[in-house]
Amino acid sequence: MSVALPHGGMLEDSPFGIESKKLVMWLFIIADAATFGALLFGYGYLRVGSPNWIRPFAFLPTILNGMVMTAVLLTSSLTMLAAVRAAQGGNARRRESVRWLVVTALLGIVFAALHLREWFNLFAEGWGPSTNPMGGSVLFGGTFFGITGLHLLHVLCGVVAILVVAVAFRRGRLNAGHVETTGLYWHFVDLVWMFVFPLVYLMNAR
Amino acid sequence: MRLYVAVWLGLLLIVAAEVALTYAGLPTRTLLAALLVLALVEAGLGLMYFMHLKYERRTLFWSLIPALIFVFLMMNQFWSDAYRLRSLHQ
Repeated sequence: MSVALPHGGMLEDSPFGIESKKLVMWLFIIADAATFGALLFGYGYLRVGSPNWIRPFAFLPTILNGMVMTAVLLTSSLTMLAAVRAAQGGNARRRESVRWLVVTALLGIVFAALHLREWFNLFAEGWGPSTNPMGGSVLFGGTFFGITGLHLLHVLCGVVAILVVAVAFRRGRLNAGHVETTGLYWHFVDLVWMFVFPLVYLMNAR
Repeated sequence: MRLYVAVWLGLLLIVAAEVALTYAGLPTRTLLAALLVLALVEAGLGLMYFMHLKYERRTLFWSLIPALIFVFLMMNQFWSDAYRLRSLHQ
């Protein structure tokens, strides 16, 4: 099906049957997945190349904290789905959707807070992007803070985006498609963590 | 929504399994392989259900995912260099 434009041009249907903004978000997600993949592969390369790699993470507090963070992020994906479902339910469920969006953003903030607390504990112990207080490879800090830092940046940007979309959706300036597109981004951030937690945390458990 | 809750529970169980495997005393390579397989299952569940890819047109799936898999497979080219780097440091 094609649509005629006022100036005489033609608009084709998307071959994927979805709105442009959703397709663009998918394309961004694939590109960002390759970026995180490159970082994770780079970490693997440096780890394999470092015979003096030390595994520093004890179950308490680091691995347990990581498990809690994972559960928080997974739950935020669920609340995001509730927000999208409500948004697609029409004007009657608009406020409900906004409430779920706010809950999702709050869970994202909880994740970021837990993560920053962990970072500052590590700094206090002498860990840094190029320091290793246990005497092993200093590349541990570079890879750990680089990967988790980029992920944390994505989480924080996502929280801001969710809140902006929540306000605009509440005012009727954005529609359910915008909520769904933001949801795609948020699920992607969760998906990346599904690889970061086992590869960066569990593979470094003592 | 019930399906999403079921997938969410499944994901939490997979995370629990990953932690259990970490403390099962497995050799490093075996643990890595197991964690990667579980992470890929999680990613698959997230992509197909949470991100709704299962219910989109097939053309979207085939345009996006095989290219990404190809990129990840190509990134495996440098492992031999990593081992060469390791032997330089020893």
